Amino acid sequence: MFAPLVLAAFIACTGETPVTPPEETPPVVTPEATPPAPPPFDPSATASENIALVPSVVETQSALEAAGITTKLADLIADRAFDVNNENKDNIAVRSGVVIADMLLTVKTSPKDKQLEQLEKIKVGLTKLDGGPDIQTTVTDIQERVRNDAVSKEDLLKELDELSGAVIPELEFNGQQRVVPLIQAGSWLEGANLVAKAVKAQAKPDAADALLKQPAVVDYFIKYVKNEGQDKAPAAVTQKLEESLNTLKGIAEKKEPLTLADIDTVIKVTDDVLALL
Amino acid sequence: MRFLSLALLATTGISFAGDELAAETCLRTKVWDSYAEGYGVRTMTSTTLAQGATRNYLVTLYKGNEYQIRTCGDDLVKNLDVYLYDLDGKVIAQDATVDREPGFGYKPTTTGTFYIVVHARELTDATKEAGVAMAVTYK
Repeated sequence: MFAPLVLAAFIACTGETPVTPPEETPPVVTPEATPPAPPPFDPSATASENIALVPSVVETQSALEAAGITTKLADLIADRAFDVNNENKDNIAVRSGVVIADMLLTVKTSPKDKQLEQLEKIKVGLTKLDGGPDIQTTVTDIQERVRNDAVSKEDLLKELDELSGAVIPELEFNGQQRVVPLIQAGSWLEGANLVAKAVKAQAKPDAADALLKQPAVVDYFIKYVKNEGQDKAPAAVTQKLEESLNTLKGIAEKKEPLTLADIDTVIKVTDDVLALL
Repeated sequence: MRFLSLALLATTGISFAGDELAAETCLRTKVWDSYAEGYGVRTMTSTTLAQGATRNYLVTLYKGNEYQIRTCGDDLVKNLDVYLYDLDGKVIAQDATVDREPGFGYKPTTTGTFYIVVHARELTDATKEAGVAMAVTYK
């Protein structure tokens, strides 16, 4: 991947015609005549990782369109003046998740100033959460390229997608295991709020069945929100988040199709959390 | 288990186990290529596996979206397999190749939670652990 750059530098320095390098041998791929037996797998007894569990908001937008909802989630985002300089880390994590979700949904249409503001909030939030100097460097690099018009909106979306889906979930946040789930919870909550509003706008509650019925995702968030230390009272936002998640769990586990009343409930309980941020 | 962007690595000099880095570099190329086909990335992650070992990932897949499960193993991998199971433990999809970069596409008919299972079926040296990377992409 880096070989052409090295080659170009070599030509520039010497002016000599380089020898054509041998082509890379593609990996050997052999179709399996008869697929071997799968490995033993017992879902109830096997530990699993949750890194791939939570869908991104961009993915949710895509599924929403497939469900026949034409409303763009980006058009429904409320104008919020989040301050990520909060003393409470749960609050910062959830806020950061909301900002990341909003930026992912709007990056192709938002002005440069707005993008820089969102990136600054993401950087400050992740720094306050002990994300470490590497993530600061990464976000600063993105900011510089946005400031200098050195990155296209399409590429910026890819980088944010990767930041959200691959980089942040792998950060250790100084051993604070709640941070990643709470960032994801913020993004997911914002997505659920916007999906519910989009579905309501088109009066198609059944379209939300495929988007809001995710009991495993809700359980994953509840597990971490409940892990608040026993020796201290949970922050208001954490307490409200747990209440909202319990309500959303009930809705996610409904056997019947969702109704407009269910959609109103989703909007209310997610708005309640977002209002505390 | 980790996946940091190569841009991040370039600026920070974080040290990686060589085998995981090789698997991640291979996978990242596939993921970036898939952007040209309209795919976005749900997640990218990596780990090390001994011969015969598996790693399981819970994943929520949306009805209406198309997914690609992509993997890469390092040079130590002779045959890597990847499976999609439902919550009851039934195989829904699997790769059909003997290689170290298996993958497959899947378009769910309902939104649901599944397990992706990555299986290091055969290594060239059974006494070592191989670097293995896995990504879920969608469109």
